[in-house]
Amino acid sequence: MAAMKVEAGGASFAATAAPAPAAARPQFEALKPHEMSDGKVQFRKVAVPPHRYAPLKRNWMEIYTPVYEQMKIDIRMNLKARRVELKTRSDTPDVSNLQKCADFVHAFMLGFDIADAIALLRLDDLYVDSFEIKDVKTLRGEHLSRAIGRLSGKGGKTKFAIENSTRTRIVIADTKIHILGSFLNIKVARDSLSSLILGSPAAKVYSKLRAVTARLAEKY
Amino acid sequence: MAAVEDEKRGEEALERLKAADPPLYLSPSTELSQVARAAARHLYSALLPFCPKAPVDRLIADDGFDAEQIWYQIDLLSRPLVSTLRREVRRLEREPPEVLLLAGGKAAAEAVKGGHGEEGEEEEEDDDGEEDEEEEDAVAAEEEEEDGREEEEDEEEEGEGKGQGVEDRFLKIKELEEYLEKNEEEEYWQPERRKRKQKRDEEEEEGDEEEEEEENEEDADEADLELGDFDEDGDEETDLYENARYEDFFGGKKKRGLNKKDGGRKREDSDEDDLSGGSEDQKMDDENIDTLNKNNLSTHEKELQQIRSKIEQMEKANLEPKSWTMQGEVTAAKRPMNSALEVDLDFEHNVRPAPVITEEVTATLEDLIRKRIMEGHFDDVQRAPVLPSKAPKEYKELDENKSKKGLAEIYEEEYAQKTGLAPQPLSVSDEQKKEASILFKKLCLKLDALSHFNFAPKPVIEDMSVQANVPALAMEEIAPLAVSDAAMLAPEEIFEGKGDIKEEVELTQADRKRRRANKKRKFKAEMTKRARQSVDPSHPSGKQDS
Repeated sequence: MAAMKVEAGGASFAATAAPAPAAARPQFEALKPHEMSDGKVQFRKVAVPPHRYAPLKRNWMEIYTPVYEQMKIDIRMNLKARRVELKTRSDTPDVSNLQKCADFVHAFMLGFDIADAIALLRLDDLYVDSFEIKDVKTLRGEHLSRAIGRLSGKGGKTKFAIENSTRTRIVIADTKIHILGSFLNIKVARDSLSSLILGSPAAKVYSKLRAVTARLAEKY
Repeated sequence: MAAVEDEKRGEEALERLKAADPPLYLSPSTELSQVARAAARHLYSALLPFCPKAPVDRLIADDGFDAEQIWYQIDLLSRPLVSTLRREVRRLEREPPEVLLLAGGKAAAEAVKGGHGEEGEEEEEDDDGEEDEEEEDAVAAEEEEEDGREEEEDEEEEGEGKGQGVEDRFLKIKELEEYLEKNEEEEYWQPERRKRKQKRDEEEEEGDEEEEEEENEEDADEADLELGDFDEDGDEETDLYENARYEDFFGGKKKRGLNKKDGGRKREDSDEDDLSGGSEDQKMDDENIDTLNKNNLSTHEKELQQIRSKIEQMEKANLEPKSWTMQGEVTAAKRPMNSALEVDLDFEHNVRPAPVITEEVTATLEDLIRKRIMEGHFDDVQRAPVLPSKAPKEYKELDENKSKKGLAEIYEEEYAQKTGLAPQPLSVSDEQKKEASILFKKLCLKLDALSHFNFAPKPVIEDMSVQANVPALAMEEIAPLAVSDAAMLAPEEIFEGKGDIKEEVELTQADRKRRRANKKRKFKAEMTKRARQSVDPSHPSGKQDS
């Protein structure tokens, strides 16, 4: 309506110099992402590593449903290229939805559970941080194996302890470590893991965790 | 004559003792003891005249007297006698009876001397032998008495031959002569005599060596000197005696102590004086060579000398460093090793000495311990109760198990709690608080019941718990009773069903009809349903595989 008015005004611009009555401030609605990109569609492609292929197949519906229904992003699996492709729709509410969905799928590919990765969709300020053991300390052979063992602990108890106390999720994939959580929590988890890599015993890490957790809990 | 008879009897007794077999002595026999006593008495009386001081005139050796007592009397008698005998023997050795006649001329003297030397030796040897026997057999009184008697007889002859009138137990002419000779010789020693003296020494040495046992070398030398003097002295005697002084005769006891010392010194200076006899016989109590050398000092001068020497000593001591005991603080390094042990030190002990643990002490301790145990009074240290100043911190336990909720759920719950949509889970402290409040309420209820007059019923605490439908008694008592059958659940709780239940008998006609009609209706409905299902498979209500 306003556009039409403007156009009409523009058409008769040259002809009449008669002043039009002061127009009310135009009220625009928010641009849809679709419109923002001028009707173009945005894509995201997430490669599927071979070891995540089968889990992907198993959990496909759990991935598909929230992405398609709640985030309003088109998602499909390119079997030939072994990729998950995401695409915005015309009714995608927010620009960042696509990125969130892409992160969600990527997190799944890294190794996180659906239940954990879903949090990425639901919360804004969750991130995934990855680093390698060699970034912290150069270890070779048995030392490396031992470091990995130290990180997990017996039956994974050290990892779970860190996860529970810092509200993060950790994936230890051989020499790569991925942490999912809020920024501060990632920091705390990363510090704990680094100290474990450097060789401190688990008990020491626990005591530090306890102190930090109390502080974190107080903040919220 | 009683005395002669006694003597005879005594000698007989001695003879009998001698004749008795040695084995007889081993067993006690009264006869032998009687004989022995008689012999002892005889010997005692025989010796009595020769002893200067006898304890008793007659030996008391009756039956009642012990061997010890008898021996004691004999001992008292014979001891001075022995010393006298010794003196006599020595004198005899020095001047055998023949030489005392004073034969003139060197050669004659020498010959006589040489000849007599042997005799003297023999005599000496005999005497020595006898003396030895005397000394060894100190216990056997009889043997000693015999020996003494023999010697005494020898001596008697000599002694009585000489100074009968003058001599008594104090004054012996022989001793006097010896004394005089010796001292004169020392005083008026002249170098001419040295050669003669030396010759005589050589001659005499052989003889002297044999006689060595008891006699000192000094004595032998003195004897030689005296003999020499005696021979040569004739002309110069008067001169020597004229120049005699007080000190020569009464040199004073002060010099006695220095005798040996001077004697030693004199030995060293053998060039000047060949007087090895500087130290005297203890009996010869007299002037020394010292006085001779110091050339007749007066008493006063001597005293002055002594004082001077003392002063010198003292001054020397003052100049020298003091002994360590006189110095103030002395460390161990400054005093000789172990010197503190020899000195009687006195110092304060700051430490109480360790208690001596005796049996009594341990007994008292044990009694105390037993008493305490019985009372139960142990004096244990009790920890002071610490009042909690603040509530204990709630520790969040580190959960080492995999979290059952996903991360999203956790955040969701957190959000819900924050906004109040969902109740917060009870923490440990909350549960404890709950428990505490319940207990307090119970207590308050009881107190109120006691204190208030109005009745307040017990509050109903709704507590969900599973009740088993078991008779109450069965739960409370182990032995089940057959009498009571009360169930814990109420009848309406047991009953499953609805409405008014009537027995088959109780039903009226109308009820029966109604029941039948209901049954029929149900049946019909069901039949139609089944028929419809089988006919139409696409009906959604039917079972289909989707």
